[in-house]
Formats: sequence, structure tokens, C-alpha cells
Amino acid sequence: LPPPMEAIPCKPLFFDLACNFIEFPNLDDKTGAANSKKQGAGITGLVKGFLGWGSDK
Amino acid sequence: MSANKESSLVQGYIELNKFCQSGDYERALKSAGKILQIAPTEQKAFHCKIICFIQLHNFKEALTVLSNPKNAALAADLHFEKAYTQYRLNCPKDALQTVDNAPELTLALKELRAQILYRLEQYQDCYNLYRDIVKNTTDDYEDERKANMSAVVANLAALNPNADLPQFE
Repeated sequence: LPPPMEAIPCKPLFFDLACNFIEFPNLDDKTGAANSKKQGAGITGLVKGFLGWGSDK
Repeated sequence: MSANKESSLVQGYIELNKFCQSGDYERALKSAGKILQIAPTEQKAFHCKIICFIQLHNFKEALTVLSNPKNAALAADLHFEKAYTQYRLNCPKDALQTVDNAPELTLALKELRAQILYRLEQYQDCYNLYRDIVKNTTDDYEDERKANMSAVVANLAALNPNADLPQFE
């Protein structure tokens, strides 16, 4: 014969939100991406020059 | 540093960055290892290596590497990563100590500290900390954080049914 039913507290849900902070550091300074961004700016400078706005070159 | 070494270092970081971005943690781990072989003092490569171990759920190895006295200088700033591995390895007391030894309680450390306090069943402190976090953050995890907070409140209520606690709908 099964024992009578009894209410027991349930374990509440608990999320691991700290895991979202496990991130890779920014490597732009190491890969030279920071420099290529400057190059990108140079290209827009060129385009600007083409359109007649970049008078600094 | 010789030009040759420098260029292979940049190459290494480009490769590492690619694998980090694509979430290929096994390959990223190898790339980080290669960089550290060329330049053993590269803090960022070391940091990536630890993140890879954590993402691969190899918390034991992450903590071993972080705790190795040889890596003391490289690991000096990785308080959060160290505390997180200790938390995941079910050593909440060590984790709390690591968090409290950090020079600054960043948002990441606060979030982790709250989770550690929950595991240590220090629900009142945990509740106070969550109230502070909720007040000062806006991100995509507000629902989950609210769920965590109600778990804390449920535990507080179980301990002290007469406590003055917020009601959740």
C-alpha cells in the first residue's frame, strides 16, 4: 500500500548568469585589426578625396 | 623582439581570434598554446586559453593552470575566471574568497558573488546583493535574474515565514 500523498517544497529554478561574462578578451591590438581600421579610414579618405571633400591630401 | 618572432605572434593571434570568434574552442586552445610557446608572457593568449577550458567545461584544468605558481603573473588579473571555475567545481567557499580578494567588485563578480552566496545558503546577503544588481543593470537576462531572486526569496520565506518579503506574481 503506497503511503498517503504529501506536499513537499520543490527546488526553485536558479540560473547561472555569471557564465555570460565568460568572454574572450578583445584581440584587436594583437592582430593588427586596430591598424587596419585606420587603413579603412584611409580608404574613406580616398573616397572623400575622389568626391572632392578630402582636401588634406 | 625580433621581427620574425613578432610577425609569427601576430599570425598566431589572427588565427586565435578567428577560432575565438567562431567558437571553435578546441582549435582556439591549440592556437593559444602555440602563442604561449613563442612568447610565454602573453597575457591575452593565456586569458583565451582559460576561457577555452571553461567553455569546454574543463574547469579542473582551468583551475589547475590558474593556480600554478608559475603562471602567477599571467593569472593575476583573472579573478572572475578563477572564482567561476571554483564555483563550478563546487568549492563556493574558495570562490567567495577569490571574489573578495579582487581589487574591484565588477558587475561580473557581483553576479557571480550572488550565485556563490546562494550556494552557501547565505540567502539574506544574497537577496541584498540581487536587489543592488537588479537596480543597476539592464540586459537581456532580467527574467532569469528575477527567477533567481524569487528562488532566494522562496528560501528566505522557508527559513522565516514571518519575514517581510516581496511578493511575486
